[in-house]
Amino acid sequence: MGAPTALRRWRGGDGEGAELLGLVSLIGAGALLAAIGARWIDGPVAVAGLVLVLAAIAAVVVAAIGGSPQTRRRLAPFGLLKPGMLWLALFYLAPVITLLRVSLSELPNRFAIEADFSWAFDNYTRAFSDFGPQFGRAFLYAGTATLLTIAIGYPLAYVIAFRGGRAKPLLLGLVVVPFFTSYLIRAIAWRSLLADTGQIVQIIDALRLGWLFEGVGIMDNGRILNTPAAVIGGLTYNFLPFMVLPIYVSLEKIDVRLVDAARDLYSGALGAFRKVVLPLSLPGVFAGTLLTFIPASGDFVNALYLGSPNTTMIGNSIQDQFLVQNDLPVASAMSFVLMAIITVFVLVYSRFFGTEDLA
Amino acid sequence: MTRHTPPRPRLGRRQFLVRGGLAGMAGLSLPAFLAACGDDDGGSAGGGGDGGGGGGGGGNELVFHNWPDYIDPTEDGSQGTVDRFVAATGVALTYDDVINSNNEYFAQIQPVLGRGQRIDADIIAPTGWMAGRLINLGWCDPLPLDEIPNAANLVGALRNPAWDPTGSYSLPWQAGFAGIAYNIDVTGRELTSVEDLWDPEFAGKIGINTEMRDTIGLIAMSLGVRLADMTTFDAASAAFERLEKAKADGQIRRFHGNDYADDLINGNLAATIGWSGDVAQYNLENPSVRFAFPETGATSWADTMIMPKGAVNRSAAAKWMNFVYDPVEAAKLTYWVQYVSPVAGVQDELAKIDPELAQNPLLFPDAATSALTQSFPSLSEEAEAQFDAAFSRIVGA
Repeated sequence: MGAPTALRRWRGGDGEGAELLGLVSLIGAGALLAAIGARWIDGPVAVAGLVLVLAAIAAVVVAAIGGSPQTRRRLAPFGLLKPGMLWLALFYLAPVITLLRVSLSELPNRFAIEADFSWAFDNYTRAFSDFGPQFGRAFLYAGTATLLTIAIGYPLAYVIAFRGGRAKPLLLGLVVVPFFTSYLIRAIAWRSLLADTGQIVQIIDALRLGWLFEGVGIMDNGRILNTPAAVIGGLTYNFLPFMVLPIYVSLEKIDVRLVDAARDLYSGALGAFRKVVLPLSLPGVFAGTLLTFIPASGDFVNALYLGSPNTTMIGNSIQDQFLVQNDLPVASAMSFVLMAIITVFVLVYSRFFGTEDLA
Repeated sequence: MTRHTPPRPRLGRRQFLVRGGLAGMAGLSLPAFLAACGDDDGGSAGGGGDGGGGGGGGGNELVFHNWPDYIDPTEDGSQGTVDRFVAATGVALTYDDVINSNNEYFAQIQPVLGRGQRIDADIIAPTGWMAGRLINLGWCDPLPLDEIPNAANLVGALRNPAWDPTGSYSLPWQAGFAGIAYNIDVTGRELTSVEDLWDPEFAGKIGINTEMRDTIGLIAMSLGVRLADMTTFDAASAAFERLEKAKADGQIRRFHGNDYADDLINGNLAATIGWSGDVAQYNLENPSVRFAFPETGATSWADTMIMPKGAVNRSAAAKWMNFVYDPVEAAKLTYWVQYVSPVAGVQDELAKIDPELAQNPLLFPDAATSALTQSFPSLSEEAEAQFDAAFSRIVGA
């Protein structure tokens, strides 16, 4: 450990060793905490590890108090990073490591509870081969729902931001009000609204518009509930505010005089929107897309209550493997694959769209 | 098949449904469930109730995990048999209808019992085959049979069943049949066979039970397979293929456990595979909901009462089992649940309450009914693993 050297240099007064001390203490404490959280070390060793973590924190504090202003300045970034890093190490890194380990384990028999680690990459093969359609549907439904929330949410946010006037707070409140009710209750409530004998189907039947809804694929053999349309509709409904609010915030910030300026420069209304308002509001769309697409692709509640056996999403499969089949290794592998795909999606998406606008 | 019976409390059943729905969501609250189980370990197991100690052991409390719609409800949302039991014995019985399907319930208790901890139920009501699995895994305690003299009232057929050859771990709760449950308002005609479930007219409106032995059993019988011969996966593969085809065709609206009442009553499901007594109860709420004993035969099953390993209230559990095996009490239960009672003498007692019901072959199977009834055979460990894997690939999400 570099601490003694660091201390000697620190006594020298120029504070050069402080950065090394800060770095070693930060990484060491984080790694130890992750190892304890992932149960790589346990028992007395874990206690010793915990003492070391505290010692590493104390060392930085002592160095900062006892050192020169220069030392303090050099230590400050490490000290400020530490709470966040340790939090992530314990509550993100450790669970991810555990999940990874379980995903490479094997159940010794059908009713076993603890899986044995055995580099069982077979779990990943199964996650792909057995659940390909569910992965596909998850991204298809989440993607469609995201596009629909943009189509519905953008005009809504636009009207509230530019035409809302004094009613703005009220209108925004109305967007959020349904969410005072539990997510689960709202999904189940849609079951009675969309039921075969429910109000919506009855109205469609009374208007004799069944053929139209069957034609565009919303209805299937006279029903809406338990179809792909119901699942996508449920996702759209439930994630709408996550699209409206970020878009509203970015539209709200736009100085209306910019639009006036565009009009002064002979831009039409549409041109002003396309060249001024839209580009300035894209960060909101970007944030809203992430807030909608990511949770929607892992969602299982809507498909559970509004879907059928042929509309299950990957979230349903993971839940089924975790809680009904009790096959933790395959469930972990599926969770990992889902996480990896979403990470790649976010990286690609932010590279091609939006990051430079995110200020 | 309309019967004119004294009015039954309907309010009770609605509350049952709500709770049944919550049980359906049990998966979502699993961590809380496990936490609750874990909490109990040290406390009550160590405390040992009222210090009665001794052979019976346990306190004056009792927790019974059962299926929904499986006991006589009262107007105030309580249960008649439970109320009478509490009044007669003073045991504080907590009756929870949390079992929605054998597999779901097993998934909940497996991580607890498998680690040698105890669940908070003293009696649970798995179906026979699942009781056999739990007994083989060593996750059950033997029953205090010497404290249950009324067990002598049991009909012979349910003593020492295949899943519990010594008869020391399990006693029967109720038995019944799986057949076709349908809503004639939606189907527009009477259904008579399993084949009716595949009618394209009902596309997307058919439910299928996640109880593999009932679903695959009924389909196999409709394909002419004798269930007793179905001990290998090859013998059952045609039934699995039929089910898979129905799923691929979009015929199936949902796979469900015991939570099919709402969808059947309000017409979201045209038909499903349901249990005789359940459907008889739903029929009281909506007369359009009917049960059809399939032409090609129905499966029969029996649910059990077993004590999970580490159950603390042994004496109270014995009192409960003794209580429900009294023919008078058993008849009151049968009057409501309309299943096959395991207790001899119930038919005579029921005739005093409802003579017509006492002649119903679904409650007291006659020779013709019995001839059309088959039970799923016991499977070897290896075969069961194959059956389960194939079935969960179809019905799992």
